[in-house]
Amino acid sequence: MADVDITKASNPARPGVNPIQDFIRKYGWSYVFVLPSMLAFTVFTLIPVIWAFIISFQDFRPRGGGGWVGFQNYTDAFTTQNGVFVEALKNTAFYALVTVTANIFIGLFLASLIQPLSARFQTFFRAAYYLPAVTSAVIIAVTWRWLFNTQWGFLNFLLSLVGAEPVRWLSDPDIALQSVILSTVFTIPAAGVVLFSAAMGSVPKDFYEAAELEGAGPIRKWWSITLPLIKSTTLYVVVLYTIASFEVFEKVYIMVPSGVGNSTQTIVTQIYQSVFQQFRYGVASAQAIVLFVIIATIAVVQFRFLKTDVEY
Amino acid sequence: MSEESKKRLSRRKFVALTGGALAASGLLAACGDNTATTAPATTAAAPAATTASSTTAAAATTAAGTTAATGTTAAAATTAAGTTAAGTTAAATTAASAGAVADFVTSKSGFKGSLDYWALGYAAGGGNAFSKSSDSAVATFMKANPDIKVTITGYTADNAGFAKIVNAVQSGSGVDVFRIPNDSLPTMIRDGAIASIDPYITAEDKADILPNLFDLVTVNGKLYAWPLWVPPVSMYLNLDVFKERGVELPPKNWTYDQFVEIAKKLTFTRGNDKVYGYSALIDPGLVDLWPIIMSDGAVPLSSDNTKYTWNTPEAYSGLQKVVDLVKVHKVTPPDFGTQKLDDILTAFKNKLQGMWSRPSGDAGTLVAGGVNLDIWPMPLGKSGKPVSAGGVGLIAVTPNKDTAKQKAAMDLARYLTSPQVEKDVPGYFLAPAARKSVTVVSPYNKFAPIAPTAWITPSLPAWTQIRTLIHPNLQNAVFGKMTPEQALSQPTDEINKLLGQK
Repeated sequence: MADVDITKASNPARPGVNPIQDFIRKYGWSYVFVLPSMLAFTVFTLIPVIWAFIISFQDFRPRGGGGWVGFQNYTDAFTTQNGVFVEALKNTAFYALVTVTANIFIGLFLASLIQPLSARFQTFFRAAYYLPAVTSAVIIAVTWRWLFNTQWGFLNFLLSLVGAEPVRWLSDPDIALQSVILSTVFTIPAAGVVLFSAAMGSVPKDFYEAAELEGAGPIRKWWSITLPLIKSTTLYVVVLYTIASFEVFEKVYIMVPSGVGNSTQTIVTQIYQSVFQQFRYGVASAQAIVLFVIIATIAVVQFRFLKTDVEY
Repeated sequence: MSEESKKRLSRRKFVALTGGALAASGLLAACGDNTATTAPATTAAAPAATTASSTTAAAATTAAGTTAATGTTAAAATTAAGTTAAGTTAAATTAASAGAVADFVTSKSGFKGSLDYWALGYAAGGGNAFSKSSDSAVATFMKANPDIKVTITGYTADNAGFAKIVNAVQSGSGVDVFRIPNDSLPTMIRDGAIASIDPYITAEDKADILPNLFDLVTVNGKLYAWPLWVPPVSMYLNLDVFKERGVELPPKNWTYDQFVEIAKKLTFTRGNDKVYGYSALIDPGLVDLWPIIMSDGAVPLSSDNTKYTWNTPEAYSGLQKVVDLVKVHKVTPPDFGTQKLDDILTAFKNKLQGMWSRPSGDAGTLVAGGVNLDIWPMPLGKSGKPVSAGGVGLIAVTPNKDTAKQKAAMDLARYLTSPQVEKDVPGYFLAPAARKSVTVVSPYNKFAPIAPTAWITPSLPAWTQIRTLIHPNLQNAVFGKMTPEQALSQPTDEINKLLGQK
């Protein structure tokens, strides 16, 4: 039997055939199928992002005119409007820190409660906890606005039952941002619960059985087996919620549309104000690029500290 | 060809056809009619006294109604003459009503096709008073011009709504004619998004429109929009609450102290509900609270719009009056400063609000809803002069290379601001009109005597930034986080810098 050139056998060179044409002939249809999503991504994401970056260096006007202004828009982003963008950065960082932490813990806690249940109940609770994710964010914000109403709100009604004074949840600048945070924390982190629940379900039972033989209790098992083995999911959820928290907009916009001083200003409400109320497209783009850099930096740090090589 | 190869081919064909169909449907969707038939709108919509310009608009306005009619249409002139003497609202309203007016409705453009009209506060299906009258007005225009089809799109009377229309116009998509407050106009003129009305406005129009309003729509000597109305902030009195508390109506020249006394009497507990004497919206796009701040004699900008002037003792004492309503007299709701329009509107309808400073637009909605109200001037401060604030409602047209379409759009805009539209659709005007010859009906006629006292927000490109500098400080003063002096003096340098920019 003659020796066989494995390379040639797996990738036979056919004299006279252009390899590019050959590749297209063999795989061309595959690219047709991914083309729509690639086009959508290019048109609605990639090009706008590149365009925003370009605009951030221009005195942009939608109908033409304007010109290049260097880093002026970045300077203006931080120094004009009485420096409110800096305040927005602080507010957003505080919002992100609290809500991401709370959402991760609540997600883990609820997923852990679901885990011991039978498959049927697990399905039920996963579906129930996922409801907020399929409910309009506007509806949720409007509902919370009503709950927080000083005169007619449900929370103050509850306080009145114990004789407490009504709280100006959304009209006191000292607590308005905390009220918005509270509404986020008390809205079940749907994606977190479902993802953690799925991750916990995929942890091999052998580990728990071995731990039980060694005398480990439920908390010890949770801490030493569950948490380390779902670390990759935790990383994903942390990054997901961090991005969402830094992009908080509709909740603030619906709950306190006129603001509460500047105490509820966030990065995206500032971007919205710059572009849609003041028509400062260049400054808004600069603020958006700053947001992009912040999120990218934090994501890199999170990947650095939460990445895991554990596989099972 | 074998059966197998036929099958393979048909599968490919199927994939190709599916891909083709997807592409075609995408194209169809992209090319399809995406005209929004309107936005939500719970309230009237009309003249939000947003911002606009610094001249004191109106002086002219007022009289507007009264002295008016001189020039314009012959008929109007006749009647108006008789009404001048009265010098009252009634006079303004009766003015030109009797006579025939010029033909504003027939377009001689020769245009055949569609026009897109974006209307502030319009809701499809007659969702509010303005929607119904707009539908009727546009229907009348289309009846008179069968070759022209007009589609109305609504946008809300708040910052989000203004952002929507401004961006639609600036992007050059799907807008031919649109309503806009005067303070948003300069940016769009600067960006070339609005057509000059100079070639289309007649001498009769110029004589009929209140002369001081031209300053607000003039850039580099060219006129850019058709003035519609001047909605001044005035005090809505909830007469049922007055009656319940046995409070007499004050004189029209009531003072701040009288206002406070009444507000205190109207603040009380009814069963489980608390009724409050006074409220107003505080929003960067609105000036509903500003007449009280200006009542001691301070206006935000110098008369030539080159200097910020709300950093004076008169301004501080004016803002202190607002703060006192909250902190000292306690006549405002607990969420005062962050309330939304619906909050106050609902409270007023349910007799949980005694007084409310607001432009004219919501008066019709409340009256139509059976609310027993009256309209009063804002209370006098130390200056002793009646003061209000407001913007000028305009109808503008986007540039179009199709001259026939441009002319048709101008004809529609002109008709929608004319005395004829009020004649065709009684009650169309929801505020004192910008034309002397227009007659407005109750309750909007009650705002006519107040309009001349209104400080009109300036038509400046920088105004959108100036108002967002002032707004949070007003809120912080109301919340007790800043003193009135801190609140009003702090933005001085940045505002003056903005005013100095060309």
